[in-house]
This record gives sequence, C-alpha cells and structure tokens, in this order.
Amino acid sequence: MSETWMIAGAWLAAGLTVFLFSFLYKDNPFFKIAEHLYLGAGMGWWFQVYLYNIWEPKVWKPLLNYDWTVLIPSILGLSLVTQFIPRISWISRYGFTFMMGYGAGLAIPAGLSTDFITQIGGTIKPLSAMASSTPPAIFNSLLVAFGVICVLFYFFFSVEHKGAVKRVSNMGIYFLMIYFGAAFGNTVMARFSLLYGRFDDLYTFSAGQYLYATQFIIVGMIIYFALHGFLTKGKKEAEAAH
Amino acid sequence: MIKNKLLFTLVLSLLTAAGVLSAPAAGADKGNKSPAQPPITGLTAADMPYDVGGTVLLAWDALASVPPGTVYQVFVSSLETGGWIKAGDYPADGVKPSSEIELPFWAWRGSKTRSALRVEVGELFAYKVTTERKSALCLALEKSSLLRAILSRLQGQGLFGGAGKPEPYTRVIEYKDGIPLNFKVVAELAGKQATAVQVKGSTASNWFRLDRLNNLLLLIVIVIVFFWAVSHAKRKGLFIRRIAGLDAIDEAIGRATEMGKPIYYVPGIGGMSGISTIASSFILGEVSQKVAQYDSQIKVPHYDPIVMTVCKEVVKQAFLEAGRPDSYRDDINFFVSQDQFSYAASVDGMISREKPAAVFFMGYFMAESLLLAEVGATSGAIQIAGTDVESQLPFFFTACDYTLIGEELYAAGAYLSKEPMLLSALKVQDFGKLLVMVSVFFGIILVAVGAKLHWDPFIEVILNLFKAY
Repeated sequence: MSETWMIAGAWLAAGLTVFLFSFLYKDNPFFKIAEHLYLGAGMGWWFQVYLYNIWEPKVWKPLLNYDWTVLIPSILGLSLVTQFIPRISWISRYGFTFMMGYGAGLAIPAGLSTDFITQIGGTIKPLSAMASSTPPAIFNSLLVAFGVICVLFYFFFSVEHKGAVKRVSNMGIYFLMIYFGAAFGNTVMARFSLLYGRFDDLYTFSAGQYLYATQFIIVGMIIYFALHGFLTKGKKEAEAAH
Repeated sequence: MIKNKLLFTLVLSLLTAAGVLSAPAAGADKGNKSPAQPPITGLTAADMPYDVGGTVLLAWDALASVPPGTVYQVFVSSLETGGWIKAGDYPADGVKPSSEIELPFWAWRGSKTRSALRVEVGELFAYKVTTERKSALCLALEKSSLLRAILSRLQGQGLFGGAGKPEPYTRVIEYKDGIPLNFKVVAELAGKQATAVQVKGSTASNWFRLDRLNNLLLLIVIVIVFFWAVSHAKRKGLFIRRIAGLDAIDEAIGRATEMGKPIYYVPGIGGMSGISTIASSFILGEVSQKVAQYDSQIKVPHYDPIVMTVCKEVVKQAFLEAGRPDSYRDDINFFVSQDQFSYAASVDGMISREKPAAVFFMGYFMAESLLLAEVGATSGAIQIAGTDVESQLPFFFTACDYTLIGEELYAAGAYLSKEPMLLSALKVQDFGKLLVMVSVFFGIILVAVGAKLHWDPFIEVILNLFKAY
C-alpha cells in the first residue's frame, strides 16, 4: 500500500473515531456524518455478505448445476417479499409459517434439553461425588442448588409473593444482583479494552508520519464548535427575547 | 579321497544342524525384552444406536491387562480385499468398556467384558467432485456464431477476458449410510502388532432416539399441562402476580401523550425465532393499542426485516382493535440497518434528536444495550427495558427506570393482554419452574444419600434421568 493511502486511511480512521466520540459533547454534524456513513457502510457490507456467502454459493451455483431442490427454500424466501405487494401479500404467510414451524420444532426439544434437563442434572451432579468432596466443595454445591431454587421462586408468577415465598424470592433477587454485579464488572472491563484500542489508534495517528491526523481533527472540531457557539449565541438570545 | 570328502561334508552338516537346532529363536529372544501383543478376539462392528448415522461401534473382548502404550489402529474399507483407510489411532487407555458408552440405562446395556470404540466413517468416505460448469453465456456461444464473433472482437480489445469459458465447480459427495464396510483393528506396541479378524458392518441413521426418551416424556407432560391450563384459563381465568415494570407502561404512554412527544419501541437485534423477540412483539401489540387509544405517536426502528414485517402486522392489528385504524401509518415500523453498531448509532441519533418521552427496549440485546439506554437516559425519556440476555441486564438496570428480567419479559405479554392462550403458556412455564425446583430439591437429597451409602447404580439412574443426550 502506498504511503498516501496509509495517510488517507489514518485520517479517515482518526476522523471517524473522533466524530463518533464528539457525540459525548452534543449532537453535531460530524457525528451525523459518521453515523450515516456507518449506516451505509454497514448495509453495503451485509449486502455483499448475503450476495457472495449465501445467494451465490447456496442458490445461484446449485441452480446452474441443475440442483433444483434449492428452489423450494428460495421460493419460500421470495414469498416474504410479497409483503410489499398488498394484493398478493397473503403468499408471505407460507414463508412465515414454515419459518415459525421450523423454528419451534427446532427450539422446543433443544430448549427442553438445555433449559430443563441439563440444568437439573448440572445442579445435582456435583453432589454425586460428595463422598470424595471437600467440605467447601459440598457447601458450594448446596449453595448453587439453594440459589437455583430461590431465583426460580422469584420468577414464579402463579402465586402472590407474600410471607415465606416473598423471603425466598428476595433471596433470589440477592443471588441475581450478585451475578449482575459480576457480569457488569466483566463487561465494563471488556468495553474499556475496546476504548483503549481506539485511544491507541488515535495516539498512533497523532504521529508526524500520519501528518498529525488526530491533533488536526480535534483542533479543527474545537474551532468549529467555538465558532458555531459564538455565531448561534446571538440567534438564541434573540429567540429567547421573542 | 572321495570318502574323506563325504566324511567332512557329513561332519560339517551335523555340526551345522546341531548349531541351528541349539540356537535360541531370534523372536523368542526379542520377546523376552517386550511382551507379545495379546490377540484381539470377538471383534464386532455394529451401527452406533440412536444417532444420525455415519458412526459405527466396534467392540471386542476386553483384555485383563493391556500393555501400557498400546495403540489401537482402526482400518476401514468398502472393498472385500484391500483398499484400507485408516480411521484413526486410539490409545488403549482411552478405550472404555461398552458399559461406559454415553447412553442412558433405558437405552443401552453394555458389558464390562467388552471394549468399545465409536468410529466415525462418514467423513472418510465423503469426496469432492470437480466438474466444468457451462454458464448460460457459454451455451449461447456454442449455438450462435454471431455472439462468438462479437465476444472474440471484444476480447481482442482486452474486454471480458474470461467470459464464455466453462468454470470449475466442486461438489462434495457425502457418505451414505447402509454401505457394507469392512473393519479391522490392529493393536500395536513398539512395532509389534496383533490384528483382529476382519469383520463386516454398516451404519444407519436412526429415526427414533431412545436415549432422549426423558425429553419426550417431559414434552408429553408439558403438552398435557398446557391443554389443561388452556381449558382452565378459558373457564375460570388464571392468576398472575403483579409485575412492577409493566405497571409503568401506562405511566410512560400517558407522559408521552401529555408532552406530545413520540414513544420509541426498540425490539432489539434478535431474529423472529428468538423467544425474547416473540415476547417483545406481544408487548408491542399491547403498547401500540394503548398508544392508539391515547392518540399518541410510536416509532419502531428495526434491525431485522422479518421482525419488522411481523411487527407491522402486530401494530396494524393493535390499532384496529383499539378502533383507530385511521391513525395507523406504515412508517411506524421502519428498517434501520442489519449491522449491530450501525443500528445502535442510528437509533441513538434519532433518540437524541427527537427527545422522545418514553423509550421501550424489549427483546434481544447485546453490546448495543448500554449505548442505546444511556442515550435514552440522557435525553430525559422514561425508559422501560426487558431482555433475557443476562449479560446485558446490568446495563439496563443502571440506565433504565424499570427493567423486566428474563422470564418477566415472557410473562409481560400474558400479563398485559390476559389472553387465555398466553396465560396458559405462562402457567406451563411456571409448571416447568416448579418441576425444576422439586427435581433439584429431591435430586440433591437422593444423590447425597446415594453417595453417602455408596449406591453407585442408584446415583447413576438419577443422573441418567437428568442428562441431555
């Protein structure tokens, strides 16, 4: 890649990063540019992904090789597009019905297996090795089982949560909050890692090799905001006076 | 002279014979250093039961002791003689008795005196075929000399270089169950081999998975409970406890009506097959009905075009049921993007510009949850969220006024509409939860007692009942 393209890429990356961060100050034209560019680029990206990863290998190429079976899912898929023509939009129901039926048929056995049977088995299994477990491990297993029952009580909608049920349900909430706290910390750490990545890029693009892209963009935006604030101040005061 | 020669030859022959006879066998000498490999007997090849096919179960008589370091080599062939393909090397310490095959007690009774090995043959017999594909242009060129002339003229000018030439097309020919296959097993240790007698076997795809009988029984029980709940709900109605977050929906819509600002309903980034998205569409129906009644405004930005199509119908129906079909507009539901962060950036932009009075986040959310909820909170909207993605719930807790946690989202549709069908579904969920609670409670007691008293078969039976296969 030539140096010019490297510099152009650096300016684009630094510019879009700073434009998106500028939303922290307020909504502004730079953010709008980045937002709409992102939207368009995202759509374009997914369009080519669908075209080259799905349509071409799974529909077009098999059809060229006389594999007519792909016509069945293709027609069902195309039936969804009839939504746009009110007169024949009823055809789309066939596609939707197939999708819902297929989805339910696939999800129900898997859900029963993973949401019920595996959960129960996973909760009671550690106690099967109780004879060889240490007291902390046994306590841990019992705590998990107790937590499972309490949390499930919280999500039990068929009885009013009063008296003993309320106490068990409240215990469930404590268990949930402990989990949510841990999950929050974990995710925030991951987000900070992403933020460092952006800062690292901005720092890299602030070098002379990239013609001080970061500094120029930030300074340019500050000048814009200052000027914009100064020029619209008078208008705002006039509007307020009216 | 001749006599002497004969005598010498005779003596030499005798000495040689004595030497040969008295010499220890070379193999026997070597055998003293490493033990002989015990033979593999009783080899059988049967279809692996209750699977999708392509797997065979090899079994042979278990040896009292297998020399450490022994490796079983499995060979498979579709020919009567030769054509052996190596299916894999299996260290002897990884080969278990057939009684330890991962199948429940009601579906499989193995033996401790037989060693068993699952061998997948499906991939071994799949192969690729590359053919030349003639495109429509190719076929047209074969027929039309005019087209050929035009194309050659264009190609002479450097255009459409590869056009009109057949392209290679590769297809994978997959293995089909039922083909008779030959198997042989070779036990190898330090270069010494013991080979079992070649056996025949084939694989089959099984229609019924007896190992999942526990799943089927549970499903039947749930279906029975569901039908009972439906009939009960229609006759007497069913009770649902109060859900705090949902009581705030009226407040949020009322606020939006008073302020004359729109309501944003964000159904998340899930597909229509997601349970949370289905639940979200039920809630959208109820919210839309109230919006129509209050003559307020609602906007539903979408990530998934199929969800959008379903939601369009839901909102249309809700306006119709509220007696306000005239207020319905097609642009209430609109598509934004199918890229997660483009969608988040765009919805954030809309929320920050339009400053809605209320924002609902109901459905499946991932990393965009905080990006959306934070902007909604900054814009001063009353926010009600609900998702079953537990990793995102903390963000909604911090940024929203009310949050529906997991199951509460599923319950919301039933709670708001009081539809007998939805109420019944909720009752079935409650039944499932009750079943889990009771099973966990009694399961831990029984397993703990079994472990204390060393009733291993009893523990095995309980664990088999609650195992997904």
